[in-house]
Amino acid sequence: MVRMIERYRSRTRFLHWTNLCAFMLLLLTGMVLFVPPLWGVAAQGSWTRLFHRVGAVVFIAGPLIFAVVNWRATLESVKEAFNWGPDDIGWLKAAPRYYFLNDERAMPPQEHMNTGQKMWWLIVLFTGVVFGVSGGLMWIGKTTLPSGVLQWSVFAHDVAYIVVLPMFFVHIYLSVLHPLMTGVWRSMLADGKVPAEYVKSHHARWYARISGKQAESE
Amino acid sequence: MAEKSILYDATRCTACRGCQVACKQWNENNEEWKTGQAKLTTNWGSYENPPDLSPQTWLKLKFIEVDRGGKLDWLFTRQACMHCTDAACVKVCPTGSLYRHELGFVSYDKSICSGCGYCVDFCPFKVPRSTRNVVTGIAKADKCTLCTTPALDRLAAGQEPACVKTCPPKALVYGDRAQLLAQGKTRVEELRNKGYSSAYLYGDKELGGLHVMYVLNDSPEVYGLPANPELPAAAVAWKDVMQPLGWAIAGLAGLGLVLNYVMARKAKIENGELAKK
Repeated sequence: MVRMIERYRSRTRFLHWTNLCAFMLLLLTGMVLFVPPLWGVAAQGSWTRLFHRVGAVVFIAGPLIFAVVNWRATLESVKEAFNWGPDDIGWLKAAPRYYFLNDERAMPPQEHMNTGQKMWWLIVLFTGVVFGVSGGLMWIGKTTLPSGVLQWSVFAHDVAYIVVLPMFFVHIYLSVLHPLMTGVWRSMLADGKVPAEYVKSHHARWYARISGKQAESE
Repeated sequence: MAEKSILYDATRCTACRGCQVACKQWNENNEEWKTGQAKLTTNWGSYENPPDLSPQTWLKLKFIEVDRGGKLDWLFTRQACMHCTDAACVKVCPTGSLYRHELGFVSYDKSICSGCGYCVDFCPFKVPRSTRNVVTGIAKADKCTLCTTPALDRLAAGQEPACVKTCPPKALVYGDRAQLLAQGKTRVEELRNKGYSSAYLYGDKELGGLHVMYVLNDSPEVYGLPANPELPAAAVAWKDVMQPLGWAIAGLAGLGLVLNYVMARKAKIENGELAKK
C-alpha cells in the first residue's frame, strides 16, 4: 500500500471550502461592476448587494473563528508565508522550465509550502485584509464617512479583486488541471493526504523535517 | 439634437421656492416628515427648508447671508443636479441607471438602480441621495432628472421642466444650451457694468459644461459652489485605469494558462516521466 502523508487537517480543509463558497458568492455578485449586463436584472432591488453581504460575513467570520480556535497553527501558517530564503529565488528561476517543459532538474528542495504556494497564500492574506477593511468601511460607514474615504475604498476593493482573480484561476489550474499535477487535489478534497513519494519529490525539506515524526505515528 | 439646458439667474431669483414645490408636486415626492428618512423640520434660523436635499427633495433653495462691511447681502441659490457633461455619477454607476440623455442631461432610471450609492459618494456637488438600510444595504438613489423620469417625462411631451414652468420672475429659463450660454454671458457683462465686478457665469466650462448654468453676482465660493469642480481622482483611477488594466491582466493570465497547458501536455507526452534530477 502506498504510504500517505496528511497535508491539510480536516478543519483546514473545511475552512478552505467554506471560504471558497463565500468567495464564489462574492466574486459573482461583485462581477456586476465589470460585466453590468450580466447582472443587470439581478442587481435591481439590491439583490446582488444583499447576497454580497451574506458572502462577506462568512468570508470574514470563517478565518477569524479558525484563527481564534487554532491560533498556534494559524500563526505558524502565516509565518510560513513570510518565510523566504535562497531556495525561493531558485524556485522562481526554475519554475518556467518546470511548469512549461516538464523539467524539474533545477528545482531546489521545498518546505511544506513551495514558493508558488507561498505567493498565493500571501495574496490571499493581503487581498483578504484589503477586501475586509475597504468592504467594512463601505458597509458600515456608507452614510457617515467622508466621501473621499468611500471613493478610495471602492478603488482598493477593485484593485484587490483584479489581483486575486487571475491568481485564483492560476490556483485552480495548478491544483486540478495542470498536466503534471495529478492527484494533488486530494490534499484539499478527499482525506487531505498525498502519497509520501509525492511529498519526497515536491517538498523535500518538509519531508526531511517530518519523516521522523511520521515514523512514530505509524 | 441640439443640447438643451436651464439657465438660472440668481440675481433675478426672489427665493419664493415655487420651483421647490413644483418639483415635488410634479415628481410625486412626499413631504420630508412623511418619508421616515428625515427628522421633522425645525427652525434653525433660516428660511431654508428642508435643510438639505434628500431622496424626496431633488431641488431646494439655499439662502446665504454675506456680511459686506456691516451691510448684509442676502443671496439665493438653487441646489439641485447640475447635469454635468463629464458626470461622475454616470461614470461610476454600475447598472447604467444613471445615463446621459440625448438632450445632454443626466437622466435616471430608478427601476434598475442597484443601490450601491457610488453616485452619492462621487458627485462633486453632493446631489444624489439614497434611501438606505445600513445593515442589509438595500437602497435606492434619487436625484433631479430634469423632468425626464419615465411616465413623468415633461420634455418628451414638449413641456419645459416643472421648476422652470412655475418660476414667477423668470429666473429659470429652459432652451437651447448655446443660446442660453450667450444669454448668460450677456447678463454677466451687464452685471459687471453695474459694479458687480466678480459676476460669473457658472457652468460654461465646468465639468465639460453643465446643463444647468448659473448667473451669479459674485464668485461661486460665495454661493457655496465649488470653484473648480472636478471628476474625483478615484473615479478616474478606478474606471479609466484600473478596470481596463484588470481586463488586460485577466486576459493575459488566461492566455498564459492555455499556453502552459499546451506546452506542458506536449512535454509530458514526449518525455513521458518528469525529467528528474
